[in-house]
Amino acid sequence: MSDELIQIETPFAFNEENQRAFDALIGRYPIKEAAMLPTLHLAQKQAGYITPAVMKYVAEQLEVSVMKVKDVVTFYPMFFEEPVGEYVIRVCHTLPCALRDCKVVLDHLKEKLGTDVASETNLAKGTTADSKFTLMKVECLASCDVAPVIMVNDDLYKNLTPEKVDEILDNL
Amino acid sequence: MIEEKRILYEHLDVPDINTFDVFRQYDGYTRFEKAIAEYQPEDIAKMVMDSGLKGRGGAGFSTGLKWSFVPRDIKPCYLCCNADESEPGTFSNRYVLEKNPHLLIEGILICCYAMGIETTYVYIRGEFTLGKKMLDAAIKEAYEKGYLGKDVRGTGLNIDIYTHPGAGAYICGEETGLIESLEGKRGQPRNKPPFPAVEGVFGKPTVVQNVETLCNLPFIVGNGVEWYTQMGPTYADTRANPPTPDPNTGTKLYCISGDVNEPGVYELELGLTSTELIEVAGGLRGEEVKAVIPGGSSAPILTHYELDTRLDFTSLTLAKSMLGSGGIIVMNETRNIVDCLLNIMKFYAHESCGQCTPCRWGTPWVRDIVQRIADGNGRKSTITRPKFGVAENGRWGDTGETEEIYEDLDLLESVANNIANVDTMTWNTICVFGIAVSWPAVSYMRKFRPEFEAAIREGKLVTLSVAEATVPPEENYAYQQRFVPKEFADL
Repeated sequence: MSDELIQIETPFAFNEENQRAFDALIGRYPIKEAAMLPTLHLAQKQAGYITPAVMKYVAEQLEVSVMKVKDVVTFYPMFFEEPVGEYVIRVCHTLPCALRDCKVVLDHLKEKLGTDVASETNLAKGTTADSKFTLMKVECLASCDVAPVIMVNDDLYKNLTPEKVDEILDNL
Repeated sequence: MIEEKRILYEHLDVPDINTFDVFRQYDGYTRFEKAIAEYQPEDIAKMVMDSGLKGRGGAGFSTGLKWSFVPRDIKPCYLCCNADESEPGTFSNRYVLEKNPHLLIEGILICCYAMGIETTYVYIRGEFTLGKKMLDAAIKEAYEKGYLGKDVRGTGLNIDIYTHPGAGAYICGEETGLIESLEGKRGQPRNKPPFPAVEGVFGKPTVVQNVETLCNLPFIVGNGVEWYTQMGPTYADTRANPPTPDPNTGTKLYCISGDVNEPGVYELELGLTSTELIEVAGGLRGEEVKAVIPGGSSAPILTHYELDTRLDFTSLTLAKSMLGSGGIIVMNETRNIVDCLLNIMKFYAHESCGQCTPCRWGTPWVRDIVQRIADGNGRKSTITRPKFGVAENGRWGDTGETEEIYEDLDLLESVANNIANVDTMTWNTICVFGIAVSWPAVSYMRKFRPEFEAAIREGKLVTLSVAEATVPPEENYAYQQRFVPKEFADL
């Protein structure tokens, strides 16, 4: 992909801390491309979501084509190509959670946040108007013994009920 | 009452076991030290082979045999630790990573020593942020104490461990998908052969092992093969002459969830039955067991007639199911099997990597059929078989009986079996994801057919009683072929 095709809103570059983390990463692999996933995680943490500028920057750092980065970004559900809220709420809805009434939790969150559930191609659908929350359904979070569970950004919350959900949201 | 046999999980709840000093108090790293002091690398590989340890990740392949395929003369060789625990119903690796990461490091060290490996990548699923943090901290400590890095403990071994985060794709738990993902690409599985043992990550020989498998190694080395093989049954494979021993040795971290009173991870010797396991997990929540998924959502379901099947690799394979990753999901009499299948098929339709056409198109198709049945729009038709006889009006004519044909159930089975055929165990896809789709689809439908028929007939989900919903054992395709293998000792 040539530069003209990429619409760059804001140029992207790693901040000092992430640059250091990136430098440590790159030495771990015999080929640079292998650092793709950790690098994208770092970039997403800094930029909020993967913009075309981020992809271009990552491609330059790893010495691969932008298309290859795009290829990876579109494959993995944890990379966002659209802006998301400050808090990303992931609700597990696979069988063990479903057997423990995750639907009640999801419905409660929908009502409380006043938003629908995001789909992978339309994250805005699940994002609140104030851009504070994004609500999404995810597949098994490997915590079936404490179902139903949700993840708010990096933190896992267990054995949920609507009351507990209220408490979590109030404490954010 | 069966008691837990905690080996891997023995010190899990000790406070601060995640730190080097506390881990050291509980024999931490002594097994690795014993390995390098007393044994040659080949001895360790032989011990693992003799222990009968089978891979705990899902396929249940002999670990010793896997190691024997790795060419010793091609360097570098890599170890990939599979911590991409994504199979619905499985959650045992999470606790090892979060609470006792040094045990995993010790297991990795022993494997590295045995196989002459210098670099290990631990592929942790992206959602395990806490697990990754704890493991990273433990690795840092191990470097400081001289158990990792250059010239480990003055032995001349160089061993590095790096963690590598995934990004939410289920298919990266498949070993070649994991390798692709580790190389920075889409996690789409590779054609085999070449197997990873010969040509894996970065084109080099690679050993891929699950967290739980690696955590078994310190105990095999520390306590000896004899101690290890006493746990769990060893069957005789009578297909060979003379019969060959088929070991199901060691303990398993059984993850039990769903309708039980105390869901959680229970470490038990291999070979107990579902009924016993439910009892260990605080009993059933509800009146009756309707169904049990024995090995993660990919495994064919067991009916209440099959609860005496022993939960080990061999017995479940003979019962046309699998132990898989040991994720046991229990369903009570209030559950609707059509609804459960719909949930699972949504999962697979979402997680298909899209590489092979039968899976990319077939999986959403199966999901849509089940959705249609669950919505009450399942297709059926009636056919009349012509028969000449005295009709109702007293004249000679056609007296054919009408029969209801559940078209959608035939279609469901046909589509699923064309992704991967569960009867012949052949799949039209590159990886075994195909069989992980068709196994639940076909087994749920065949074993709980009355419930599927009722949903189509009534035009809505109908939850039948356990007795009504289950196909009786004499008509159950899997039950008929089942036999409980004799213990090797009894032979």
